[in-house]
Amino acid sequence: MDNNDIYREEIMEHYRNPQNFGVMKNPTYEAEAVNPLCGDKIRLQLKVNKKGVVEKVRFSGSGCALSVASSSQFTEWMVGKTVKKLKSTGPDQIQELMRAKIGPARLPCMLLSLYALQKAVAGE
Amino acid sequence: MIPKIRNQFPIFQKRGLKPLAYLDNAATTQKPATVIEAMDKFYRSQNAPVHRGVYALAEGATAAYEKVRDQVKEFVNAKHREEIIFTSGATESINVVVAGLSEAFLKRGDRILLSDMEHHAMIVPWQAAARLQVSTIDRSTARKKLKLDFVPLNSEGRIDIGAFKKLLAKHKPKFVGVTHVSNVLGTENPVREMISLAHKAGALVLVDAAQSIAHGAVDVQALGCDFLAFSGHKMYGPTGIGVLYGKKELLEKLPPHKFGGHMIAEVTRTKTTYAPLPEKFEGGTPPVAEVIGLGAAISFLQSIGLNNIAKYEGSLTAYALRALKNVPGLALLGPATTKARAPIFSFTIKGIHAHDIATLLDREGIAVRAGHHCAQILHESLSLDASVRASLCIYNTAEEVDRLVSALVTIQRKFQ
Repeated sequence: MDNNDIYREEIMEHYRNPQNFGVMKNPTYEAEAVNPLCGDKIRLQLKVNKKGVVEKVRFSGSGCALSVASSSQFTEWMVGKTVKKLKSTGPDQIQELMRAKIGPARLPCMLLSLYALQKAVAGE
Repeated sequence: MIPKIRNQFPIFQKRGLKPLAYLDNAATTQKPATVIEAMDKFYRSQNAPVHRGVYALAEGATAAYEKVRDQVKEFVNAKHREEIIFTSGATESINVVVAGLSEAFLKRGDRILLSDMEHHAMIVPWQAAARLQVSTIDRSTARKKLKLDFVPLNSEGRIDIGAFKKLLAKHKPKFVGVTHVSNVLGTENPVREMISLAHKAGALVLVDAAQSIAHGAVDVQALGCDFLAFSGHKMYGPTGIGVLYGKKELLEKLPPHKFGGHMIAEVTRTKTTYAPLPEKFEGGTPPVAEVIGLGAAISFLQSIGLNNIAKYEGSLTAYALRALKNVPGLALLGPATTKARAPIFSFTIKGIHAHDIATLLDREGIAVRAGHHCAQILHESLSLDASVRASLCIYNTAEEVDRLVSALVTIQRKFQ
């Protein structure tokens, strides 16, 4: 199968066993994002230390394989990054992590956790 | 018979490893060559403004345009040709009725009865009218409050007729809006019986025939409906054209919704009188080529025969209902038997999101719809966010159903 396939086994594994899935108490930042295509909702929480570095990330909600797998990979990537870095993060980062080409109709699915992140750190 | 019909559709001529299995016909159907060619021919050799030009070309265009009105009149068995109004589609047809009734017929506090399986095109105009219309009857400038009630469905996905009777008796609604065939469940509603019950209770009835018009004979006089709406593009015709049928005496009283050229009798600085039917509702230059295309689509349907279409689609429905049972974890929405059922199959598969299913089916050349299909109230009543919908029509085959089922089995395995 194509290495850039959005449903390749590596991505399906993230869907079956998503990393950082759950809810934490007392997050530093949190936000929700809704996919207008299907109404799927994701809640993203971040715990940030005094130096502005992300220590812990959690996401929750229900979604399709693309939104869950990309949230799983993207939240893994966030840990250890500074808030400043996260604020300047765009769609390219998720594309790179997912290593997948995706059409415009399903792009919002893949970018759902990015939308939540942008909302969460918007005020900073 | 089916290969011969299928060959009339240019979009299916492309061959390949994964030929197009187009199963999104409840959204829009493909177009036969006769429809495409009729519109092409009009633009190449007949194009002119209708109703006003005195030259031969314009007279020809007008005659062709008005001939389709006669064709539609025969097609739905209306009593008068002026009962056929050309609109941009079923959505506009419904909006004309809702706006006109709420302006000139309805008073504050009047009740409107819809069903839980209605398309947003029936629900949203009424919600807007219920809040915002200003009445010309009681001259109130305050916001008009109409009350909307919804008939629930039974466990099989059919309208609960007992509940319908009770709601008619309890609320004495002034209007009943009901879909002929559900665009999600495939349920064919007993509209004839419902219209008769509604009339006895004093309500006017609008039937949304968008999902039924291309799948069996629709006879407005036999049904007895006051209004009927449908779109051209769901019956093998072009987009941008639809029909509103209304009883003459009601359309004559209904105020127009679109103001401008052609819909007038006389315009002075102080006042305008409106044209008689059907012009009153057809302000502006109409979509002439689309009307011509609609005429060709009706001819296409009649060349096969509506009863033959219903018969073939019935056998396809029976086949699909059996075949879909072979997909583990598949839950079908709507009736599990062929009785009063259109070939529309919405479903969920346990543990797999509808959009993932649709994307993976697309890779096999199978086009389906995923989402709430403009029926969010229905999905909410079923406690679902989204479903996958495969909707079939006259050019679909049992082989395509097999391809769907086999692809779904593969997808189901992949997600385990």
